[in-house]
Amino acid sequence: MWGMSAIEEEDRLDADAAKQAMRRAARMAAPFKRTVLSAIGFTAMTTLGLLMGPVIVRYGIDDGIKPADSATLRTAVIAYIVVVSIAYVSSRQQYIFINRAGEGFLRLLRIRVFGHIQKQSLAFFDRNKSGVLVARMTADIESMAELVQWGLLQFVSAALLLTFSFILLLVLSWQLTIVALLVMPVIVVASRKFQRDSNAAYLDVRDNVGSNLSTLQEGITGVRVIQAYAREPEQTRRFEESNRGLFRSHLYSLRVSTWFFGLVEASGVIASALAIGIGGWLVNRGDVTVGTAIAVLLLLAQLFEPVQQLSQLYNTVQSSTAALDKLFGILDTTPDVLDGELALPASGAVVVSAVGFRYPETKSLVLDDVSITVANGERLAVVGATGSGKSTLAKLMARLYDPTAGTITFGGVDLRDATIDSLRQRVVVVPQEGFLFGGTIADNVRVARADASDNDVRAALDAIGALDRFEQFEEGIHTEVRERGSRLSAGERQLVSLARAALVDPAVLVLDEATSNLDPGTEVIVEHALESLMGSRTTIVVAHRLSTIRRADRIAVIDAGKLAELGTHDELLALGGHYARLAHAWAASQPN
Amino acid sequence: MTDTRADTAKRSRWALLHATLATQRRNLTIATLIGLLWMCGKVAVPWLVGIGIDQGIEADDRVWLWAGLVAAAGIASGVFTAFRRYYAFREARWTETQLRERLFGHILRLHIGYHDRSQTGQLMSRSSSDLQQIQAFVVMIPITLSNLAMVISVTVILALTNPLLTLVALAPLPLVNFAGRRFSSSIHPAVQAVQQEQAELATVVEETVSGVRVIKGFGAEAVQSAKLEVEADDIRRVSIDAAKIRAKYLPAIELLPQIGLIGVLGVGGLQVIDGTLTLGELVSFNIYVSLLVAPLRMLGMTIAWGQRAAAAIERINDVLDTVPLISDPGNPTVLPTRQSNSALGAVRFDGVDFGYDDGLRVLNNFNLELAAGQSIALVGGTGSGKSTVARLLIRFYDADAGSITIDGVPIGDLALHELRRAVGVVFEDTLLFGDSVAANIAFADPDASHDAIERAARLAGAHDFIMGLPDAYDTQLGERGYSLSGGQRQRIAIARAILADPRILVLDDATSAVDPSKEHEIRSAMSTVMDGRTTIVIAHRPGTIALADTVALVDEGRVIATGTHDHLLATDARYREVLAAMSDADRAAAGPTGLGRS
Repeated sequence: MWGMSAIEEEDRLDADAAKQAMRRAARMAAPFKRTVLSAIGFTAMTTLGLLMGPVIVRYGIDDGIKPADSATLRTAVIAYIVVVSIAYVSSRQQYIFINRAGEGFLRLLRIRVFGHIQKQSLAFFDRNKSGVLVARMTADIESMAELVQWGLLQFVSAALLLTFSFILLLVLSWQLTIVALLVMPVIVVASRKFQRDSNAAYLDVRDNVGSNLSTLQEGITGVRVIQAYAREPEQTRRFEESNRGLFRSHLYSLRVSTWFFGLVEASGVIASALAIGIGGWLVNRGDVTVGTAIAVLLLLAQLFEPVQQLSQLYNTVQSSTAALDKLFGILDTTPDVLDGELALPASGAVVVSAVGFRYPETKSLVLDDVSITVANGERLAVVGATGSGKSTLAKLMARLYDPTAGTITFGGVDLRDATIDSLRQRVVVVPQEGFLFGGTIADNVRVARADASDNDVRAALDAIGALDRFEQFEEGIHTEVRERGSRLSAGERQLVSLARAALVDPAVLVLDEATSNLDPGTEVIVEHALESLMGSRTTIVVAHRLSTIRRADRIAVIDAGKLAELGTHDELLALGGHYARLAHAWAASQPN
Repeated sequence: MTDTRADTAKRSRWALLHATLATQRRNLTIATLIGLLWMCGKVAVPWLVGIGIDQGIEADDRVWLWAGLVAAAGIASGVFTAFRRYYAFREARWTETQLRERLFGHILRLHIGYHDRSQTGQLMSRSSSDLQQIQAFVVMIPITLSNLAMVISVTVILALTNPLLTLVALAPLPLVNFAGRRFSSSIHPAVQAVQQEQAELATVVEETVSGVRVIKGFGAEAVQSAKLEVEADDIRRVSIDAAKIRAKYLPAIELLPQIGLIGVLGVGGLQVIDGTLTLGELVSFNIYVSLLVAPLRMLGMTIAWGQRAAAAIERINDVLDTVPLISDPGNPTVLPTRQSNSALGAVRFDGVDFGYDDGLRVLNNFNLELAAGQSIALVGGTGSGKSTVARLLIRFYDADAGSITIDGVPIGDLALHELRRAVGVVFEDTLLFGDSVAANIAFADPDASHDAIERAARLAGAHDFIMGLPDAYDTQLGERGYSLSGGQRQRIAIARAILADPRILVLDDATSAVDPSKEHEIRSAMSTVMDGRTTIVIAHRPGTIALADTVALVDEGRVIATGTHDHLLATDARYREVLAAMSDADRAAAGPTGLGRS
């Protein structure tokens, strides 16, 4: 949200990587080739038009003014008007074309990167913090907008201007071209130094802005604690420290750019002075005309501003290539849960055999050699302590991850061989919290099946006994849920979440029971909804409540990644192990 | 609560900026003077070029002298360009820096009632983007002054040389200024539209990333992709709209001066043929026209920036004009210090009424008396007002009626610093700062020795897990640092309170964020701290409630029963009801507890 974030290591991109990123972006922009070429064409025309000015002035002076020929002067003026008009028209077009191409490219990039992010398995989302992913899709792509809007244009036009000017200078007078060559090396060397220093300064400023903002945010969000401990002066002093650090980094970046601006300014005028000195000498030797000397003078005056602009562009280019590199990093991540080819049968048993699982780049096993067969229509409760691996087991059964050892099959088909589409139709996971997206209640239910009609949505809500509750709203199922469903209560959000599952009508239901509390009124409705949803479906429920556990056909107790106990409530009670202890503890805490 | 601005004099929009800039008057004057020198250098160049052409080239008279003078003027204008820029930006950054510190200090002092109403994001943008706007404007002050001086002096010089040609050359330039203004005012809403669309796309990405489990679970990727495509299309559409505005104005702004150049060539050329103008003068006219383009373009933008800065200043003023409603009394009293035979920390609420901004009364004739060293648990349903009690005690809010005293002194008579040092609160949600573990514990006293910090951590039962962290007490916490579990955070907060060593301790639902299986660890930490200290425990779990000597049942803003936990449980139906409702709410979490310990 704050535009600037702290520098990440990837922001410091070496030249090779930057070139590679640029080349790849160019390949990606291939569909816009014609638009880009048109833009470049118009830019070339504009630049040529601007360069014609001094040439026409030369013609006017040498052929019109000097021989006192007012008709030729008039021709020169008319030619000048025509050239400027053409430049105006093509200049307008260049903006439109470059933006069409650039915004088209950014749109493509947004859609592609997002699509690729969505293809990733949950493991990817565990690895990458959500803030980082959001930043990739927003700040990083937006950092290229400036370049697209005018940066590239300026770059092309400055490059063209420099090239054309040089050619023009050579045509006008090779002797006077030396003038330009005398000053240019100074500018080139200075630009290189400026680029290096200003990039360092820019990163330094960004870093300081980032830490200043987080100190600021900490102060504002922590105001209650700060006041409660009467630490206002100390916190203000800390803030001042970071604020002064930011000021100093601004000053450094200012010093870096200041001498360069002065130097470019002075060089431009010195070039003019040289043009007068050498030009005068050449005119008097009869080598060039006065008009030529003046044209060179005017040309040189146009030449130094683009150099300055190019140097300022450097930071923008730098941060854009860094952003591109990060985005390509995402595009290069191969999704690790891939589509299979078989369709899953309509029903069957879920067989977990010898399954082991570890998260990538970790050593300890989350699950180790777990084998359970859940018969068609059976209800299995999975219980265990936090971190025992019970939720992971549930996620594996819905193929949100793939096991690192062993297999999980449904109706005899390995989940890895099934198409993702048929898998999502047969097996549905209902997450703990009712997570809602922006849009209406109906939109939210439809997340489960995009082509469902309003009546399908109503039927799904009705199936879990929740339709009446939502129809009571003024706009019924078309009520906007507002940001993250803030309009609905926690219980209502869970109902929507359950209705999604009802809409799919899957063979297997994987439930992660909520641990959070609902108000007693909704609690009953949610429990009722759950019960009707489970019905006679095969259900695997990660259970936290003994009431749920008791209603299960069998109970699997997971302890430290292993299947510790498996059996009915009575069997496990008789066993006197983990489960028995849990049941006793629960019974003891029951209010009388 | 009354309107926070009721007793404040609304400062004029510019008074704040004026006051800030007054301290920088000397440097801003220097910047402006340098700007005038810069102007002299810039103005001299075309004039010298003109003479160089007429005397040096045309008359072949000392051409290198004129060339040398041009170069000297160039060096001067280069040097002054650099200094003008440096001074202008430095002063503007300094204004920004100073204002930000003032704003931050003020925000920290504002009463909690203000913070309840304002959003963090709003206050953040006051101190970041709004200050940027002001900074951008302050830069323009010395630069605009010298630009104006240049425009005027060039116009005068040209008019004195050749009035007709001046008119021809400069006629299109006001249009540059005009177009610049039009451009600024029409691109601004277009840019805002782009930002709006970008924010909408960000929302889609955000909900997708946070709701990825739902999306994966139902295979709803396509739905989200379609949503994103709509937003990406919108961004492209409004961005191209903005580009069209740029296409309309920027080429015009760039090329309008060319009309002046054409006029100079046509009219001036005829004058040269007539002999009323020299060729050198014609060229210097030409260069002067180019010279004025940048300053005029900038003058147009300065006005637009000024308007934006004015709006930003007004928003900042709104914050700075808000007077902290809770502040030190004129003549603070001090709390009595320890006498040989009596303990400290007696608390008394007497007939206290209080309601938040919404007008609903939360406390209604609330009475509570705590002897020094006594501990009490406040128990009540949601909205009973029990948490408000703690907030009034440390004057986050002031009571509407009634009195609150500590050791006989009304809290309003104490300096805030002293009051808040005397009362330590452990909040429900623990805020850790982006600093080391040690610094977070030593929050109340940054100079505390390592031994003192470790002792506090041990008492809070936090030492063991801290030693298990990567850098033990030096482990960085906070947003960019190591993240701790709810129970660990809570124990750090308790250690923080222990180190502060307050005479009164308030534990505001300090265990609610903690996994029930870990609660007993915190409970023992809490009982250590409570020993011999006046303590108010706001709790809903029986185990925590039992830590206190007595229990006060709060309902509808007043204490309706007091006694021991067992006594109330046995005699008070309402108490049983409240406890049952709360344990009901907790029941869900009770399941895994047994297994967790096995």
